[in-house]
Amino acid sequence: MKVSDIRVAVLRMEGINCEQETYDAFERLGARPEFVHIKQLEKRWPDSGGYRDLEEYDILMLPGGFSAGDYIRAGAIFASRIKSSVLKDLMRFIEEGKPVGGFCNGFQIMVELGILPGFSSTMSDRPEAVLHANDSGNFECRPALLKMVNRGSCVWTSRIERDEVRLIPVAHAEGNLILDDPDNAYTRLFDSDMVVFRYCDADGDVEASYPFNPNGSRFNIAGICNDTGNVFGMMPHPERVFDRIAHPDWYRKRISRDEGDGRAVFESVLDHVVKRF
Amino acid sequence: MGIADLTSDLGLDVPARMIMLSRCTDGELKRMSLEMGIGLSLDEMKRVRDHFSSEGRDPTDVELEALGQAWSEHCCYKSSKYYMKKHFFGMGAPYVISSNEDAGVVEFDNEHAYVVGLESHNHPSAIGPYGGAATGVGGIIRDIFCMGAQPVATVDPLFFGPLDLPLDRVPQGVRHPQSIFHGVVAGIRDYGNRIGIPTVAGMIQFHDGYTGNPLVNVGALGIARKEHIIHSRVGGPGEVYILAGGRTGRDGIHGVTFASADLSRSSEDKDRGSVQLGDPITKEPLIHACLEANEKGLLRGMKDLGGGGLSCVSGEMALAGGCGAVIDLDQVPIKEDGMAPWEIWVSESQERMMVSVLPEKVRDVLNIFEKWDVLAKVVGRVEEGRRIKALWKGVPVLDLDLDFFTAGPEYCRVVQPRVVIREMKEASFPDPGRASLERTLLTLMSDPNICSRETVFRTYDHEVRARTVIKPAVGRPFSPGPSDAAVIKPLSGSNKGLALTADVNTFFCEIDPYNGTMASLEESFRNLVCVGARPHSITDCLNFGNPERPDRMSDFARSCEAIGEMVRYFKVPVVSGNVSLYNETETGSVPPTPTFFTVGIVPDVNLCMTSDLKEESNLLYLIGVTKKEMGGSAYFRQLKQECGCVPSVDLEMSKGAMEAMLELIGSHLVVSAHDLSEGGMAAAIAEMCIGGGLGAEISISRIGRFAGLEEMRRDTILFSESCSRYLVEVRLPNAGKMEDCLSRHHVPYVKMGTVSGERLRILDEEELLIDVGIDILDERWRNGLRYVLEGSQ
Repeated sequence: MKVSDIRVAVLRMEGINCEQETYDAFERLGARPEFVHIKQLEKRWPDSGGYRDLEEYDILMLPGGFSAGDYIRAGAIFASRIKSSVLKDLMRFIEEGKPVGGFCNGFQIMVELGILPGFSSTMSDRPEAVLHANDSGNFECRPALLKMVNRGSCVWTSRIERDEVRLIPVAHAEGNLILDDPDNAYTRLFDSDMVVFRYCDADGDVEASYPFNPNGSRFNIAGICNDTGNVFGMMPHPERVFDRIAHPDWYRKRISRDEGDGRAVFESVLDHVVKRF
Repeated sequence: MGIADLTSDLGLDVPARMIMLSRCTDGELKRMSLEMGIGLSLDEMKRVRDHFSSEGRDPTDVELEALGQAWSEHCCYKSSKYYMKKHFFGMGAPYVISSNEDAGVVEFDNEHAYVVGLESHNHPSAIGPYGGAATGVGGIIRDIFCMGAQPVATVDPLFFGPLDLPLDRVPQGVRHPQSIFHGVVAGIRDYGNRIGIPTVAGMIQFHDGYTGNPLVNVGALGIARKEHIIHSRVGGPGEVYILAGGRTGRDGIHGVTFASADLSRSSEDKDRGSVQLGDPITKEPLIHACLEANEKGLLRGMKDLGGGGLSCVSGEMALAGGCGAVIDLDQVPIKEDGMAPWEIWVSESQERMMVSVLPEKVRDVLNIFEKWDVLAKVVGRVEEGRRIKALWKGVPVLDLDLDFFTAGPEYCRVVQPRVVIREMKEASFPDPGRASLERTLLTLMSDPNICSRETVFRTYDHEVRARTVIKPAVGRPFSPGPSDAAVIKPLSGSNKGLALTADVNTFFCEIDPYNGTMASLEESFRNLVCVGARPHSITDCLNFGNPERPDRMSDFARSCEAIGEMVRYFKVPVVSGNVSLYNETETGSVPPTPTFFTVGIVPDVNLCMTSDLKEESNLLYLIGVTKKEMGGSAYFRQLKQECGCVPSVDLEMSKGAMEAMLELIGSHLVVSAHDLSEGGMAAAIAEMCIGGGLGAEISISRIGRFAGLEEMRRDTILFSESCSRYLVEVRLPNAGKMEDCLSRHHVPYVKMGTVSGERLRILDEEELLIDVGIDILDERWRNGLRYVLEGSQ
């Protein structure tokens, strides 16, 4: 498959607000992103020409934001909208190995849906994890250093060297990942190569505490994938550092490279789709 | 006669009455205004009565309420217009596209315009800090997208009483400043973050005068293709009004009348209903839907419903398009049953937009709103003529001549200028030694008016949309210093940037409204220049006390005069603005607070400059002249010294320094730049050290000691807040070229020292005045707000 044939559904509902930069990232790499409102998948669009099916797409993206205001629990409402309408389509999408990604609110939605971590099945009946309120009790908009620790299962990070540290910012109030059944779950997460990014300090220490770990997440986990590596979620925002000029300190070392640390996430998944499909 | 006897019921299925003004005595007119809560003076009531007499009838309650709202200070600027017209209205620039609507529209490049606005939400935030601040953000965002622009940034200048105010000094009926502070910040956070518009800049000032009168100013900026700019006017008769967004409720009734009077100790209970309720999750899709309909060319006019509600918006849009209009009040979607027509007409409920549409486009427009699940309904139509009418199930309840309705009174109020001290004054105690100067610097670094705002801006999403290239903090990512201005890159296809800053120095304006205003506006220019932006437009929010008091009015007039002076000299136009008067409680008025939201253009964002020190052994220069202008300075405030004159702007010097700085930054002859403001030179160099994580060794022996002049004290040199000054860092090989540039612009400069080590060392000849580790400065500055909030140090 050619990059220019890859169709990316950037899913939106009211309160999703990072869809433009997520769309831009795919478009600038030559893929074919499209904004898809959940109502278009539910076939509740004012004109039937706007009806869409998930199977038309090669990648599904859940962008950041505050879907439906996140007044209940981050991601809960969007997740239940998806479950009540396109559950089967989504299961098939994942089982066909097509990539599903979520950043920030997108990740929260995926956890609420039960497609991450997805220990027991493609989609668990109830959430196996939760993105709890940050330890600081505050919304945290700040830079974060991430160490890529995946051993090769994740299709979203193939362009990033293992143990490489990248700067990708966070902006959330609920990003503290807590797994159900902690005795086994964390072991399973690491053993099955489902951990992708961990917060660290400038020396790459993945036990560094706040502010390097902005939310208190155990084992400094910032992003995870399912055991087949196609479903991936992370709290930080790679779409915000697509360009180097969006880094908080780009002007301190003026170099000509304009690529930001987040771009490789998008390149990796497009690479994967090109090779696999 | 009782007021009730002077009304007669209209016999509708909802409460609506005729008010028999023609039978009222003067005393009854006054009481009528008071009891209805419409805030009109006796003279204004008489003018209304006479107008209706000439039409041979009495007004309905809907009409009287509408006039009370339209003629409020907030809506018609009756006290402020005279001075603004006299001093700076109409001084445009060729690149200003529109400066007389909800927001200013200014050319950005050949194809694009930026749209900018700044508003106060002071009274609501005093009563309900969380909701007041949130709806403030909501309101200014609507002002931006109702011009057809995508909002891309917000800025929030905030003013509170001292956070450590002892409880026994909190006036009765007033919330403690900490409570207001937390509520306001949370309101901005929860609303701004949810709608996905980054909060990129702002300011926080603490002053006793804001204890009972916190000020919450909110600004926003948007970007649009020029052909998508849409105006707040109907296209012509036959068009249809569609009301979209939130339902209309009883929240926000009498909001503008409430904003046009002093706050009193009973305001908390009495005026609760005047505070609107915000809903960002209705707003976010409303923005998408309105912009989509506009970009598809389906709209003829669009305007947001803010202060003034349905009444102002339907009348003003019609009048601006040279038409009249009819509204069916029974068609307006309401939040609760039983609302009276007048309540629907004047409610200021949030998240509502009015669009004017050709009849054949109505279906398409309603479809777009339906896609986004935004409630939208046809509520009226545009007619020939110049009357605004409102019907309840076909029965007229309002029928007003638009010229009379919108031509509010205009006053040239009495002014009583105050005495302003213009004497240059230094401290009155012996020149302090090292221990004292060092201690002073550390105290200044954690002064609530100087210290880091990180605890606040980290809770605001300042990066959503991924276009914030200079953020509120600069330098080391995990220990940054302060940014002079934020820069966004609004378009993906262009490297041109917009720099944003908000500024005012209340302490200067309090002592000297004229020079204080000039110094504040100049500081906002310096902020922009330091990131490499040329000042391009000014948006102001003039917050003052009760205009009916001659001393307050004089402060306002002097401030306007100063703005006029700056605008004329620098040729940077005021493109939009807002006036908020009556910021006053029983304990007094706020200090004069002319807030400036200034926007600059960066030709190429890749050339942006920041304040953090970059590299060991680079040279440090002070640009500009330090004077004995200690009035209102943080140093004198700390020492409770009697004030002398505040800094004044030498226009020629200011312009020269600005041009030189822009040249130096544009050609990258300097590698960092910072403007000198509160805390003076010493605080500025400390901030540069903090951002860069690098020390400096500098000497003050060549500053302020010209032949023939009386020697300047060392504390004056370190802490004076004189205008038009900058600190720059330059690489040794570029120093000569930089000096040439400064000389060419006739700007004085002093080579002060070098970037070195991990300590800030300031010397006078051989004597060490300050020698302190960067880690200590960092800790004091970064935790200043925490110290005062947690009551520890």
